[in-house]
Amino acid sequence: METEVFAEVGDEIVRVEGITKTFTLSRKQKKIEKTAVDRKVAVDRLSFSAYKGQIYGLLGPNGAGKTTTLRILSTLIKPDSGDAFVCGQSVVKEPQKVRDKIGFMTSELKLDGFFTPDYLFDFFGNLHGVDGEVLKARKKELFSRFGIDRFSEVRVKDLSTGMKQKISLVVSIVHDPDVVIFDEPTNGLDVLTAKVVTDFLAELRAMGKSIILSTHIFSLVEKLCDRVGIIIDGKTVTDGTLQEVCAGETLEKRFFDIYGEVKGETV
Amino acid sequence: MKLIALMKKEFRRFFHDPRLIVTMLIPGLIIYLIYSILGDALWSKEQDTYSYKAYVAGESRLCEMINTAFGSDEFLIPAADEETARKEVEEGKADALIVFPQGFDEAVNAYVPSPGAKAPQIKIYYRAADTQSSAFYAAVTGILSAYEDSIANKFDIVADNFSSDSEIVGSVLGGMLPFLVVIFIFAACMSITLESVAGEKERGTLATILITSAKRSHVALGKVIPLSCISAIGATSSFLGVALSMPKLMGMNVGGFIGSVGFLGYFLLFLLILSVVPLIVSLVSVVSTYSKSVKEASAYTSVLMIITMVLSIVSTFVSGIGNWVVAIPVLNAVVCMQGVLTGSFSLWQSLVSVAVNIAFTALLVFAIAKMLSSERVMFGT
Repeated sequence: METEVFAEVGDEIVRVEGITKTFTLSRKQKKIEKTAVDRKVAVDRLSFSAYKGQIYGLLGPNGAGKTTTLRILSTLIKPDSGDAFVCGQSVVKEPQKVRDKIGFMTSELKLDGFFTPDYLFDFFGNLHGVDGEVLKARKKELFSRFGIDRFSEVRVKDLSTGMKQKISLVVSIVHDPDVVIFDEPTNGLDVLTAKVVTDFLAELRAMGKSIILSTHIFSLVEKLCDRVGIIIDGKTVTDGTLQEVCAGETLEKRFFDIYGEVKGETV
Repeated sequence: MKLIALMKKEFRRFFHDPRLIVTMLIPGLIIYLIYSILGDALWSKEQDTYSYKAYVAGESRLCEMINTAFGSDEFLIPAADEETARKEVEEGKADALIVFPQGFDEAVNAYVPSPGAKAPQIKIYYRAADTQSSAFYAAVTGILSAYEDSIANKFDIVADNFSSDSEIVGSVLGGMLPFLVVIFIFAACMSITLESVAGEKERGTLATILITSAKRSHVALGKVIPLSCISAIGATSSFLGVALSMPKLMGMNVGGFIGSVGFLGYFLLFLLILSVVPLIVSLVSVVSTYSKSVKEASAYTSVLMIITMVLSIVSTFVSGIGNWVVAIPVLNAVVCMQGVLTGSFSLWQSLVSVAVNIAFTALLVFAIAKMLSSERVMFGT
C-alpha cells in the first residue's frame, strides 16, 4: 500500500489489524488493581479502519486501551502481535516512515518550557525536514489561526494550559501530516479554547486530512466524528459510522447499553 | 539537518541560560582563587624566614656542618654559660642548645663499636611543644644521623639535588592533576547531562522528539555532541584553575612548569581531555536514558563517579602500571596525563588511549540510540 493509492476522500488510510498489547504489572500496580496476575492485556486483538477526509473517534472508559492504541499508531510502542498500517506503512516494520505521515498530540508529550513557541515550531519543523520557506509560511498561518502570534516569544513555561495546548496542537501538525492523531484533545481546556480546537479538527477534515481521536466526551464524537469505535477492556465492541453505531439512539444511550451488555452490569 | 537542529537546541538551552553558564565556569575560578590565596598565605609566611636561635656548648667539626646547613658561619652561638643557655631554651628565648662533650671529635675517631663500649654522646635541649624548636631539633638530628651513618659505614655519601622547580612541580602535579581533571570533567558532565537527558525523559519532552522522523542515532548524537562541547568548557575552566594555581599553592614557578610540559605535552593533554569528555557524557547519558527520573540517574551516576575516582586514585599512587592500561577507558587517560606532566609520556600509548576512548564513546552512543528505541526503557512498558 502506498500513499498515492489513497488520493480520494473515503479511501482507507489507517488500518489496524488485530493488535494486542500486554504490560507487565509492577507490585504497586498489582496492589492498586487488586490482582495477582503479572501481566495485563491493554489491547486485545483490536481492529478498525479510518478513511481519508474523515474523523474516527475511539470511545471508551478510562483504561479501555484508547491511549495504548494511539501510542501504537504513533510508533511510540509496538504491539505484541498484529500490525497497523498508516498510508500503507507498517508501524512495526517501518516506524520511521510512519512518523513522517502522522501528527500526534497527547498530554503525555510535553514541550520544553524553556523555549518559546516560535523556536519550538521551527525546531520541530526542522526535525520533520520541512523546507525553510514552507515552514515560515505555515508558522504565520497557524500562529495567526490560533492567536499564538501574540505570545510567540514568551517561554512556554510562562503560558496558560490553554495556550500550551494550542502550541502542542500546531507543533504536532507542523509538517502538514496526512493523518492526525489526537488523544483527548480538549482535556483541561476552557470552553473557548476547546471550541477553537474542535473547529480546527473540522477544518482539517475539510482539507482532506484523516483524524483519529480518542475521547470519552459523547458530544464531541457526535459533533465531529464520521466513524466511531467503542473499546471496552481492550476490545473493539462496536465499529462503524456514527449512524450505524447509534442506531437511532443517542450515542450516550447506545454506549451505556453496549457497556452493560459487555460487562454484564447496569450503569 | 535534523542532527544540526537537535544540536543547536542543546546549545541554545545552555547558552541562553546564564545560571548554567555561571555554574559551569565558576568552579574553575573558585579553585584558582582559593588555591592561589592559600599558596600566597602559605609561602609569604614561609618567606618571612624564621631566625633560629641555637646555642652550642663544646667544640666539634659538626658545628661547621650545622652552620653550613643553616647558611651562616656564625649560626650556632657559642654558649658563654651552659646553664644560662639551657634556661633560655626552657623559657622559649632560644630554640635549642647542643652540647658536645669535651674531646668529642677525638672520641668519635677512637670509637670502635664493640660490646660494652660506650659511644660518644651529643645532648640536645629543645622544646617538643614548640613548632620552631622541634623543627630545628628534627633538622639537626637529620644532619647528625646522616653524619653518624657516613662514619659508621666508612663511606662518604655525596648527595646533590639536580631537580629543578618545574620537575618537582611536574612530579606532584603529574600525580594529582589527572585525578582532579577527571573528577572535574565528571562533575561538569553530570550537572548538565542529567538535566538534559534524564530531565527531558522525566518531563516527557524527549518522547515528543521521538515521534518526529529524526533517527534515534541522531537524537543520541544530538545530545552527546553538544553536551560534550559544553562539558569541555566546564572541564577546561576547572583544569586551568588547578593547573595555574597548583604551582602557586606549592610555592613553585608557574612559568617553569608550563615551559617544561612543552607544546606536544599540551597537545596530548588537550587530546586526552577531549577524548574523556564525550566518553563520560555518553556514560552519564546511558545511565540517564535508563533511569526514570533525575533523582534515580543521580544515584546511579554517583556510583559511577566513585568507581572512576577510585580507579584514578589507584593509578595516582600505584607505580609501574603496564601497557594494558590503554584498554581501560578513562583510566588510560589518567595514566597518560600523568606521563605527560611528569615528562615520561609515551606518544603511542596516549594516541591509542584517545582512540580507545573514542571507540567506547561510539559504542555508548549506539547503546543510547538502542535504548531510545526501547519502549521498556523509554516508557517502562
